[in-house]
Amino acid sequence: MLSIYFGDHDDEIYDPATYFLNQYEDEWITDELSEKMIQDVDRSKVVGAHIIESPVLGAITPRELSGGVKTLILLAFDDGDHIFNASACGDNCAPWIEKIASEKDIRITLHHIMHFGEDVEAMILNEGKAVKGFREYLMTAIKYV
Amino acid sequence: MRGRYRVSVQNKKIIYEFELVRNITVIRGDSASGKTTLIDMLSQYEQNGDSSGISLKCEKRCVVLTAVRWKENLDSIHESIVFIDENSRFITSDDFARAVKTSDCYFVIVTRDNLYNLPYSVDEIYGIRESGKYAGLKKCYNEFYRIYSGATMADSLPECVLTEDSNSGYEFFEALSRDKGIECISAGGKSHVAAVLSAMSGRACLVIADGAAFGCEMNRITELLNAGSAIVLYLPESFEWLILKSGLVDGRRIEELLEHPEDHVESSEYFSWERFFSSVLISETEGTYLKYSKEKLNDAYLQEREKNAIIEAMDRIGDLFR
Repeated sequence: MLSIYFGDHDDEIYDPATYFLNQYEDEWITDELSEKMIQDVDRSKVVGAHIIESPVLGAITPRELSGGVKTLILLAFDDGDHIFNASACGDNCAPWIEKIASEKDIRITLHHIMHFGEDVEAMILNEGKAVKGFREYLMTAIKYV
Repeated sequence: MRGRYRVSVQNKKIIYEFELVRNITVIRGDSASGKTTLIDMLSQYEQNGDSSGISLKCEKRCVVLTAVRWKENLDSIHESIVFIDENSRFITSDDFARAVKTSDCYFVIVTRDNLYNLPYSVDEIYGIRESGKYAGLKKCYNEFYRIYSGATMADSLPECVLTEDSNSGYEFFEALSRDKGIECISAGGKSHVAAVLSAMSGRACLVIADGAAFGCEMNRITELLNAGSAIVLYLPESFEWLILKSGLVDGRRIEELLEHPEDHVESSEYFSWERFFSSVLISETEGTYLKYSKEKLNDAYLQEREKNAIIEAMDRIGDLFR
């Protein structure tokens, strides 16, 4: 289930990329889901827990992954019940956020309107109500960001 | 600071090239497009110069501003291009907006946050795209591309016109709309445009707003467009810019100024080009029959010749009102 809080939240991790650098675990990188997300968003191939092959930068470490993928990996694997700022993610991460949320409960903040799919379903924490479909999500988001 | 500046930054693997013309440029777009890599390269060059292995070409100094003591650091930076990476929370603060307002620097801000307290142009919101290999070398060439365009087109007159403005600009477009028998509504400020549009439930609407400072609204408006709202956007720099462009205020100086505003707009004096054009129009029409005031439209602008000259300056959108 995807829960969204629009705007600043006292408990949010505003800079997930920095949090990732200090908290990620090697096995998160080599998990099949991470490999797929890294391939899709960063167009990079996971060689091992410490090496990823980027088409532009050559061999990189997980530290050089994009801020969007770092946030996705945290959403998928961090079990600290944190609320992550998903405005660190571009729209190309939106399908992955929906996929992760279909398998576990995640909470995100948004400081802009992310372009989710037509069938997005989310709990809007600002109002304590569920929205179904992009239009309903958008009409709620417009009130806050 | 005023003027147009070309920035070229490269290492063995990547080249970035882009041009800046206003005090505020925003970079957003998809993840993994190279935004943070650009900032990292500029930061490495700043620390180690040519010995970083990075080549930077720009007439002005390029500086990376981070959250640590940003205010004190910014106070000591002048006539430079200031780059700020995403997830720098201070960029949404009123303190930062105040600092930008009086700064003699240009700012390039990487963020998806809409930055409602900064008046940035719809034309200065960019993504970064890879344009293939550069000149046969094994380097990726990256350039900025404009995310939003200032106008979308309509073939026929919409059901209503929505202006951001509630004063002179609104009065002018209200008169044009009345001539065509359609309703003209004022949103009462740019921050209300999206809410008014979302309440319109399907009515075809022409939105007229000052493009020079409407950047912060484009995320919301674009998503409304994506969701199928019947919106046509017309975003000239500002209503005052339209009047200047119409040729009603004669002079070679105005022509030159409209051709290259960046050479005339001092960033520490004008927060946005919109304010600059207002100031020019007010001073140029002082003591003439066209004396301009933002608060109340001078009736002279609604006379046939003057009205038609402004409609002419609206190009294709003007066709709707002819």
